Amino acid sequence: MQRFYAARAEGYPLVKINTHRFKEIAKEELKNTYSRGFLDIFSQFFPILRKNAMESFSDPQEALEKSAAIRRDVVARLPQLLDAFENNAANNGAKVIRVKDGREANTVIVNLAKKRGIQYVTKGKSMVTEEIGLNQALQANGIDAFESDLGEFITQLLDRPPFHIVGPAMNVPVEEISDIFIQRAEMKTPTLDPVELGHAARVYLRNKFHHAGMGITGVNMAVADTGTIINVENEGNIRMSKSSPKTQVSVMTLEKVVPDMQDALHLLRVLCRSCTGQKLAAYVSMDSGPKKTNEIDGPEELFIIIVDNGRSELYKDIQSRQALQCIRCGACLNTCPVYTKIGGYPYGWAYSGPMGQVLTPLLLGFEATEDLFRACTRCGACRDVCPAGIDHPKMFQAFETRRQERKKIPGLNREEMIIEMGFVIWGWLVTRPRLWELTARLTRKALSLPALSEPLKRIDGPVKHWTHSRTLPHPASQTFREHWKALKKAEYDR
Amino acid sequence: MIDDFIKEITDQTGEVYRVKKCDEAAETLVNIAQEKQIIKLIASTDSVIRRIDLAGVAAKSGIEIRTAGDFKDRDAFKAYAFEHADAGITGVDYGVAESGTLCLVHDENQPRLVSLAPLYHIALLPMKHLVPTYEQAAAQIFSTNAALPSQVSFITGPSMTADIQATSFKGMHGPKHLIVILLGC
Amino acid sequence: MQTVSLFIPCLVDLFLPRIGEATIKLLRHLGLSPVYHETQTCCGQPAISTGRTSQAVRAARHFIDVFKNDEIIVCPSGSCVYTVKYEYPELLKNDPILCRQAAEIGKRTFELSQFMVDVLGVNTTGASFHCQAVFHESCKNLRRLGISEQPKKLIENVSGTMLLPLKEADVCCGFGGAFSVQFPEISEAIVEQKVRHFIDSEADVLILSEPGCLLNLDGYLKLKHPDKKAMHLAEVLCRTG
Repeated sequence: MQRFYAARAEGYPLVKINTHRFKEIAKEELKNTYSRGFLDIFSQFFPILRKNAMESFSDPQEALEKSAAIRRDVVARLPQLLDAFENNAANNGAKVIRVKDGREANTVIVNLAKKRGIQYVTKGKSMVTEEIGLNQALQANGIDAFESDLGEFITQLLDRPPFHIVGPAMNVPVEEISDIFIQRAEMKTPTLDPVELGHAARVYLRNKFHHAGMGITGVNMAVADTGTIINVENEGNIRMSKSSPKTQVSVMTLEKVVPDMQDALHLLRVLCRSCTGQKLAAYVSMDSGPKKTNEIDGPEELFIIIVDNGRSELYKDIQSRQALQCIRCGACLNTCPVYTKIGGYPYGWAYSGPMGQVLTPLLLGFEATEDLFRACTRCGACRDVCPAGIDHPKMFQAFETRRQERKKIPGLNREEMIIEMGFVIWGWLVTRPRLWELTARLTRKALSLPALSEPLKRIDGPVKHWTHSRTLPHPASQTFREHWKALKKAEYDR
Repeated sequence: MIDDFIKEITDQTGEVYRVKKCDEAAETLVNIAQEKQIIKLIASTDSVIRRIDLAGVAAKSGIEIRTAGDFKDRDAFKAYAFEHADAGITGVDYGVAESGTLCLVHDENQPRLVSLAPLYHIALLPMKHLVPTYEQAAAQIFSTNAALPSQVSFITGPSMTADIQATSFKGMHGPKHLIVILLGC
Repeated sequence: MQTVSLFIPCLVDLFLPRIGEATIKLLRHLGLSPVYHETQTCCGQPAISTGRTSQAVRAARHFIDVFKNDEIIVCPSGSCVYTVKYEYPELLKNDPILCRQAAEIGKRTFELSQFMVDVLGVNTTGASFHCQAVFHESCKNLRRLGISEQPKKLIENVSGTMLLPLKEADVCCGFGGAFSVQFPEISEAIVEQKVRHFIDSEADVLILSEPGCLLNLDGYLKLKHPDKKAMHLAEVLCRTG
């Protein structure tokens, strides 16, 4: 909780962080049948798209191993690759600015805009800008920021967090979109047709693209070898922000760098297949510096902002570094049994699903994000589809271990105390078979006595939570151990 | 390889025409324009486009064809691209068969907005520019000692989205229609 | 006769001893002599997955002590086998001797169906069970131990059993150990989906090879669909009729 109290103290527009409300929001979202319908699409349809697309590789498994190896290499050589990227990008004429945190990034970008008399910017989808609250910072300085990816545009108008990494507004009913477009996107006639709604957004945003003085984009990959930034999209809004305005600002975090163009091309193939089941997205644009002198369109100035925001700190821990391998494809979301029941809102920040459960605790600290990394069945489906080689369940286990090491007894509530005590006793009994056996028999006795088991169902604790939707397991009349002993005795007697 | 390329493009709803000679290309262009009711065309001036007698096309068909050089400044060019041009026509530096992708290297003869702003993108691709995978294109563009191009676009099909209720449609911010004329010349 | 050491999960000992009994029957039927070390307690999985390292190490030490002289160890739970084979070396990495012992024991530890099909080369047990069944692919078995074809092959060879396809058979059942009691509503939503697929399949029986999954699904079925059954693989393979 420390971090965003600090941000609040600085008087800077606050990014809404709701990680501490995970359980509460998850419970609400489970009841949202409309969203659940769309989550079914993600869980049933997208993995098939992904699988079919991966089949176009002669050896899909090898392709995944190769992309994981590239990402591991990137993380291993991150500082050198970033330096190389910065040098080469600068040689291409781009202005590279490294910033320590979100506050600094926002200040730099706001100043760039102010100095150029910018009244509004058009924005391509960028998760880091959501992480740092760039839109809020611009708004607070009288500069409008128009999200131009259709899904981001809708969630911006509705002031809602993203539902999914790839389809942030996919669960929003067309009625709501129609209403908000009439209110705030100059649409004249109500409609429930997605294509007509899309057209209305096209018309509205086209005007913004045409007259924008500054375009802000994210970065999918930053090629160290050539100083090139790469963006991947289907709509064309990023290309618009890179073609029409005179100033382009592209924002990236440290881990976006890749060693060379060969690596980038392989990652592009894997990214597009993992993300949407496409061989390649409709538009992949690669910028190596601003426009050349005689070119009629394109940016006269290209700024590349490299944001740290806690990552070099995270980098110091060899185990945590793995989080930086992520390429934001979203495949983990679509295969996660938890995400596909609750959607993106409960994760409380820019990053949802398993990759959010890995990254958010590392950036925001474990206190406010405990429920995030615990909300996992450790099934490993995410790990198996991850093209970046991240072992999510293993990381959650490591987080649990670190959290346990730092836990202070006085800070625990009653339920947590009971569990701690339980484990202390368990740890003591596990090396004492006779007492273990005795405890098993006593537990059996207790569970079969309603006088004891019924109250347990009412106190906040494992029994109450289990019996929420299941019967208590019925202990057998004999433990296996007792059965074995009886068996041996019978054979001996014979 | 050509067949793979054509299949990939048509899978993306692109249309493909094959012509042997450049004058056939001009004729095909006129037919396309008539069929799609294209009246105003913005064109690149790259080495492929220059093989077509665009002036002749304009004269013959009454289509208004403009290039970047016709405008007094950037703003005038942008106004035409955003508000007037029904179609943009460009050459293509590389056609990549593995995904039916058009690779455009942007420079003063290949403005960015020509293949982005209008609803139609007509792309002239010499068959000799076809390569099997992205690597061949990238190797030539990125490994020279000369300055790197300011932008390279890889275009695979028209602009699209499925962000509203997972309903997919073409023509979000970029072109809605992609037409490729494969040149034998 | 070859002896085989039984590794009986704590959940089986307390709640599902019939799985242990079935395992004994199966192994004897295959001409082996099962032995059970009464000194065994728990492999330590609950402590490992909740980050309680010192307690987990105690459990691991004890386990190694109990099983160190066994040539073959068989267990009717993939998650417990996974714990021994893959979690122990990591857990004990600061003690090279223990770590090596753990690695050695891991090589000799097998999940039941894996042992039967891959080690013994057995495809059938001569069992018969007239039913239509579906099979749930437990996460640790499928994704960590590569066990999927083995149990299905064994089920298919049970006379009278028709194995039907189960939609999303490889999706988690929602147990996840501590998860099921820490996030009960989400867990319920996941179980509910699994059970819905089971019911839609029109099978009578849901077969699984993981005791934790079984407790989870059985508990839910008893409350919401008491007419539907869940059974452990070992029980099915012992059926006659």
